[in-house]
Amino acid sequence: MKVAYNWLKDFLNIRVSPGVLADKLTMAGLEVVSLEETGGDFVFEIEITSNRPDWLSILGVAREISAITGAKLKTPVLKEPKAKAKEPQPIRICIADKKDCSFYSARIIRDVKVGPSPDWLKKRLELLGCRSVNNIVDITNYILFELGHPLHAFDLDLLSGETIVLRRAKSGEKITTLDDQQRVLDQEILIIADKDKPQAIAGVMGAKDSEVTVKTRNILFESAVFDPVLIRRTRQKLGLQSESAYRFERGVNLEAAKLASLAAQELICKLASGRPCAYKSMGIIKPAGPLIKLEVGYVTRILGLNMPGPKIKQILKSLGFALKAAGKNKFLVKIPGFRQDIKSAVDLVEEIARIYGYARIPQTLPAIKPNLDICGKRDIVSRLKNVLVGLGLQEAITYSLIDRELLARSGIKLSNQLVEILNPLSREQEVLRPSLLPSLICCLAYNLDRQQDYVSIFETANVFSGGADCPRESLSLGIALCGTRPLLTGGGLVRDEVSLLHLKGIVDGLFNKLGIPGFDLKAQSAFGLVSIAIKQQEIGFMLDLNKQALDAFGIKNKQVILAEIDLEKMLSHISLDKKFSGIPRYPAVTRDISFIIKDDIPVQEMLTQIEAKGQPLLRSARVVDYYQGKQIPPGFRGLTVSCVYRANDRTLTESELVPLHNSICSLLQERFGIKLR
Amino acid sequence: MDINLIQAQIDTDISNVTSPQSLEELRVKYLGRKGLVAELTGSIPGLPAQERGAFGREVNALKNRLLAIFAEKERSLAGGNQAAANNKIDIGMPGIASNLGSAHPITQIIDEICGIFNRMGFCVVEGPEIETEGNNFTGLNIPLEHPSRDAFDTFYLKGYSKLLLRSHTSPVQVRVMKTHKPPLAIIVPGRVYRPDAVDASHLFMFHQIEGFVVSENIRFSDLKGTLSLFAKSVFGSDIKMRFRPHFFPFTEPSAEVDISCIICKGKGCSVCGRKGWLEILGAGMIHPNVFKYVGYNPQKYTGFAFGMGIERIAMLKYGINDIRLFFENDLRFLNQF
Repeated sequence: MKVAYNWLKDFLNIRVSPGVLADKLTMAGLEVVSLEETGGDFVFEIEITSNRPDWLSILGVAREISAITGAKLKTPVLKEPKAKAKEPQPIRICIADKKDCSFYSARIIRDVKVGPSPDWLKKRLELLGCRSVNNIVDITNYILFELGHPLHAFDLDLLSGETIVLRRAKSGEKITTLDDQQRVLDQEILIIADKDKPQAIAGVMGAKDSEVTVKTRNILFESAVFDPVLIRRTRQKLGLQSESAYRFERGVNLEAAKLASLAAQELICKLASGRPCAYKSMGIIKPAGPLIKLEVGYVTRILGLNMPGPKIKQILKSLGFALKAAGKNKFLVKIPGFRQDIKSAVDLVEEIARIYGYARIPQTLPAIKPNLDICGKRDIVSRLKNVLVGLGLQEAITYSLIDRELLARSGIKLSNQLVEILNPLSREQEVLRPSLLPSLICCLAYNLDRQQDYVSIFETANVFSGGADCPRESLSLGIALCGTRPLLTGGGLVRDEVSLLHLKGIVDGLFNKLGIPGFDLKAQSAFGLVSIAIKQQEIGFMLDLNKQALDAFGIKNKQVILAEIDLEKMLSHISLDKKFSGIPRYPAVTRDISFIIKDDIPVQEMLTQIEAKGQPLLRSARVVDYYQGKQIPPGFRGLTVSCVYRANDRTLTESELVPLHNSICSLLQERFGIKLR
Repeated sequence: MDINLIQAQIDTDISNVTSPQSLEELRVKYLGRKGLVAELTGSIPGLPAQERGAFGREVNALKNRLLAIFAEKERSLAGGNQAAANNKIDIGMPGIASNLGSAHPITQIIDEICGIFNRMGFCVVEGPEIETEGNNFTGLNIPLEHPSRDAFDTFYLKGYSKLLLRSHTSPVQVRVMKTHKPPLAIIVPGRVYRPDAVDASHLFMFHQIEGFVVSENIRFSDLKGTLSLFAKSVFGSDIKMRFRPHFFPFTEPSAEVDISCIICKGKGCSVCGRKGWLEILGAGMIHPNVFKYVGYNPQKYTGFAFGMGIERIAMLKYGINDIRLFFENDLRFLNQF
């Protein structure tokens, strides 16, 4: 909303500079976003919040300035002229449904001389960014800006019949609006019609057919109060915004409707030498101004500031409220028609605080009682993120909305129904993702394209799946690794291409730190797919992405290793309770076995058998080294298994250790056909 | 040799030692199996019975002193060697450690802000991203067909009537209040969605943090104090803050909160649009209609609420000029945090 400094001065004496005024307005809630000096005047561009349609006018802003600065507001007072010329053609108004239009008034003015507006009028409109058309149209616009109430003028001679009908349009009924667009209407749109056809879309725009032009001699102009929701729906449906609709949608009031009609008549008589001939109105005559009870103590209680009664009274009166004492420290406040936003005492408290100045309210700290019974997942998820970051992964955040095609491209199979967006702006917002992985693969590809050799990322976010009654969302962890990790060691650089084992290491470290004691990895029949289960509950999977998918994402000569874990399921297995177990008092003995074994024999099974055989002294058996290459025949691999033996009550002797260790070696030879190296 | 002689000689002998080898030779001379001390000990049985005890103690004292002297010399020789060995490391070579990753800058800002409010006694709660019209709008005093909804363009779900992607974190206010009784002090971080055209400062998905406090005596002054403490914690103690009246359907009185521009310190620059102030959050006293909706008695309870965009805070704090960078996940961007 644009407001000109000199126009404001019609309503009050402003004793501060435009710059100072802009600051004061901003701090009172009328945010001045720009102040421009132009044509010997100053134009304020003010952002008006949607609750204050009364500020969408020069008068409304002037009223505010009066309250802020204390300058007296000159309110326009207009009266219906007593003597009227005789009207040969009586007008009738017919409102089909009072809910759509609570007040409608029409005025007939004859013998107007349509022509250009005087310069002062043109200039005022132009400062506000409104193009001059002719004196009649300009006057309706002028009144709209000055008083905030939209008016519409028809060429009376182009209306057929004697009745103005306010009705819903018939389905398929057509109108060509002032912007030369033909529009098809329906039953949800309120129109103003003559005997034959729609002459205006109520509250939004008039018809080309009854437009006021230089040929116009007699006019009928309306001032009305339409249902805001109806105007809003019409505006949205037709995609047609106008200054009129903008104000009707936010709510106009009866007093302004009457005042605007009179003010326009006066200007038309003055500038277009018209003759007022008839006035007819229908609907509510007098609005019931609501009364709100306000206690001084309530103001203090909300603001944390002692505000004396007289100060409250003075502020509210300056804003146009009428106050009556209603007992000690109590007021009855009458709400003027232009303040339809004020519905309860707390709204009045804001008015008081606004004009008094938010800056003058003190700063205190609340006495907070922490609620220890409310606690979300965030702490544990933070811990999870910390572990992954410590393991060298970078956290990514990607969009929850994705292109459906991305899912197909990644080749990830999903059993659940997708959750689709009804009103996406683009294909990238079509569906709520059922998996984090497609986005993470995109993220890998993006970075590989930007000369990164090694990318290891993770994300925690919700994933979505459709359900019969309501869709399900659950927290998920996605991990994606790709490329060759440069590892600097004391012996120099090692290039380490990522594989499922790197991912296993990450999952291992993570579960361990989160107090998840054990998990099972099971290779699935599909190539490169490994399921992750805790206590027989499947919680996720690891995946070596296949060639087809890699090609689809344009990833060349690199492996992509992925994991997705259902965090809701995983969190249920987390145990952060810790229990100390005593440090062993007697030393352990470590014996390594290096051997060659067929590479199709699974290590896990071998280790399980070693552990069974080694009881009760064997504490652990782990693979500590492996090798495939020169000295190993094809189809075999070299392994070193480290066995740790320990007793709780004594130092082990060679004589009890040797037979046990030998029995393990024999087991390996007999069951697994190893060859010791 | 008698004890005094040995005492006198060891000091000269030890000062001449320059290598571990000569130290070892000296040790054999004094402390060896046939060394001087052994000789003295060996002489004990030949002494008169009444002298043996005193002499034995003296020999022991001598032995201990010698051990200390040799240990000290050994340390000083070894120290010299250690230094020589250290010199072989070129400390300009890269250190050896596995690389650390880092949390996303948005996560870092959320953690920082949650941390500040945690210290004030707030609890962190999260809510679902799929919401009902009731929690997202009606419960927050936002009529479904009113211009105040225009600020919250919303993604709706296909096939589920009245379900949508939350357009702000405020519905969590409704959720928490429906299930818990005051007093409450809650902070809610999370993703929100609005069908906005994408440019350098707008995205269709971003993050917000919502905070609210409800009790029997919560005042606007408490809101001011709390947010001022917050702003100083995030942006530094010299930051200025101002509260401008504004309109939000779910708070009354409502305010928009600005901080003095962190770039130009309030003088006016391109970042703050020459105004000297940067808008960082919206806030206000919780509207009595919200309390009514969740079944609280608005006569009894008052509360404040505030909400802010995380990307906005992160952009200001880190000097990031394009919001899209947050979700491109370019490692050259992420690595900086």
